[in-house]
Amino acid sequence: MSGSVVLNWLASTPDFAVPYALAALGLIISERAGVLSLGAEGLMLVGALAGIGAQLAMGQPAVSLVMAMLAASAVSLLFAVMVIWLRVNQVIAGLALVFFCQGLTALVGSLAEWTNHATEGIGTMALWPLSLLPGAGRLFEQNAMVWLTLPIFLAVAWFFSRTSAGLRLRAVGENPQAADAAGIRVAMWRLAAVLAGSALVGLAGAYISVVSTKLWIAGMTGGRGWIAVGLVIFARWSPWKALAGALLFGCIEALIPQLAAAGVQLPQYFVMMTPYAVTLGVMVWVALSRRGAEEEPGALGQPYVREERR
Amino acid sequence: MVDATLAAIAQPAQTDPEAALRARRQPLARRRYALEIRQHMGWRRQALILAAALLAGLAISAAILVAAGVPANELANEFVMQTFFDGQNLRAVLFQAAPMILVGLAGSLAFRARFWNLGLEGQMIWGAIGATAVSMWQIGPEPLRLPLMFAAAIGCGLLWVLGPAWLKIRLGVNEIISTLMLNYMAANFLLHLVYGSWKDPKDNFPYSPQFRAFERLPELGAGVSSAIALAAVVALFAWWLVGLSRAGLYLRFVDANPRVAHANGVPVRRTIYGAVLLSGAMAGLAGFAVASGQEGRLTQAFYQGYGFSGILIAFLARNNPLAATVVALLVAALFVTGRSLQVFYQVPFSMVQLIQAIIVVCVAASDFFIRHRLRRVGAEAAQ
Repeated sequence: MSGSVVLNWLASTPDFAVPYALAALGLIISERAGVLSLGAEGLMLVGALAGIGAQLAMGQPAVSLVMAMLAASAVSLLFAVMVIWLRVNQVIAGLALVFFCQGLTALVGSLAEWTNHATEGIGTMALWPLSLLPGAGRLFEQNAMVWLTLPIFLAVAWFFSRTSAGLRLRAVGENPQAADAAGIRVAMWRLAAVLAGSALVGLAGAYISVVSTKLWIAGMTGGRGWIAVGLVIFARWSPWKALAGALLFGCIEALIPQLAAAGVQLPQYFVMMTPYAVTLGVMVWVALSRRGAEEEPGALGQPYVREERR
Repeated sequence: MVDATLAAIAQPAQTDPEAALRARRQPLARRRYALEIRQHMGWRRQALILAAALLAGLAISAAILVAAGVPANELANEFVMQTFFDGQNLRAVLFQAAPMILVGLAGSLAFRARFWNLGLEGQMIWGAIGATAVSMWQIGPEPLRLPLMFAAAIGCGLLWVLGPAWLKIRLGVNEIISTLMLNYMAANFLLHLVYGSWKDPKDNFPYSPQFRAFERLPELGAGVSSAIALAAVVALFAWWLVGLSRAGLYLRFVDANPRVAHANGVPVRRTIYGAVLLSGAMAGLAGFAVASGQEGRLTQAFYQGYGFSGILIAFLARNNPLAATVVALLVAALFVTGRSLQVFYQVPFSMVQLIQAIIVVCVAASDFFIRHRLRRVGAEAAQ
């Protein structure tokens, strides 16, 4: 491979990595509070659809992204009520949420006729003065959302490790009984975590539709939400490891079009399998190395019921 | 917790009618409610709550359909009259029910072993690929062809779930993610086949060449396919396995508590493997039922929606094989109705998915009222 192919590849990596990174970060927030959030695939679709709808109506990418976050949060309220107050099995509730969202987005998308309408996306923003570097300067011309992702990660990591609110949220996910005894309102913290996490997952979906592909197709997230769920396990619920994992996946996905452009002949459908195969491989590797198994939130997936002995 | 228990001992019960009346007269804002775990509820009340949840789910779905532009009276006519009281549509429901029953049984068997087999679609795809391979390569003499396709479907479905089962049992790899990833991989492999070397040379559409007549599941008469008979036999087998056999007993032990089961000499691993592999085999059979019973060839998107329906059927039936068969018939009716709505009112087929999800949400929420009760705590107890 020549140097320019490598540069092109690396320059297009963030575009593929951002949805994974944001979705995984959203999932980490909710799972740190003890709520297993399998609904990411569906919430990404809701974000993607709401984003494109707002984009077609108003044409302001910033507004569209915010609308997408609100929409995903609103839909996740249904999930939150089910798992926090009605104590429904979190796996069943998460799966139901995915299929609810798949059906809902396909229905709304076709009724509102938002399918396959191209919109204007966000332009690139050069990170001066790095963008003036000869050759490698292209790496620093990315859209605003890519640059915004870093402060979002910084803020969440800081929240978890440096604030008392972050400590409370983690306590709720680690040992809700003890947190309750210490006067922390478990249900409220879990609700807040689900809503905030879902907003980020919705933003990840909207990034795909509003910023990357700039149009809506039913089911367009294509399993990225599930990959993000796997990524969280790989990252052991740590934001920075999730960012690294997202970059790895972005690299792999970005390589495919570059290879095709360079004229390398690959069997198309086997190439399309790679993200899923890599996810599977990563899961196996995590299991084999058995590193940091204790980092999993202690009460992940368990409903908290006061006065119930388990 | 201790305080509440002590209070209950000190004040045995709220039997005093005076106190109850006083509690009722309290202003709404000052009333306190306590949530209690219900020990037991009679099956009649359970059934009533379940029926109410189903009705609520259907009512919400009907409201969405009306909002989507389907006239309300047409809707009732379409779902109730056309689907259940019209001979042709009833046959369509039975036709559609065979793969539904098989995936529903597959789901409930795996869930009984506490294995979230979300890879039903992938196993279905491989079942259909296996059956089609026997037809494509013309393996075996004509009278043996159908049994061979049947065996190939079982084998392929079983092998496709073997990987995640092994990874889960040996390495503790989360089976939800692994089976889902394998779904996407199987779907891409299917596309590779039907757009590649298995493409029908006659018309260049992305499907395999048509099966010959002796490779199709025959009709039983009156337009009913033998696929439904096959599904019924598998359902009876599953009922015997789960309810009457020793393996079923083991499975119940494992479901209740794997550790205690192991301590009591139940072969936990073998039981889980058995249930999960059988689940994959049944999903493979569902692929065979669609390919050989319905489509008559391998098509590119035949599996869509079955995975979720299988999970839904297993959940609604509480993993009971006979209940799963009944629920599968209802879901098949929903599918048939959905198809005709799609044709007549341009309602997207994903509507069927949405309705199923709404029903699951309602039934899952209704579980709460079966397991808990709200009890008003009187003024004295609240203070």
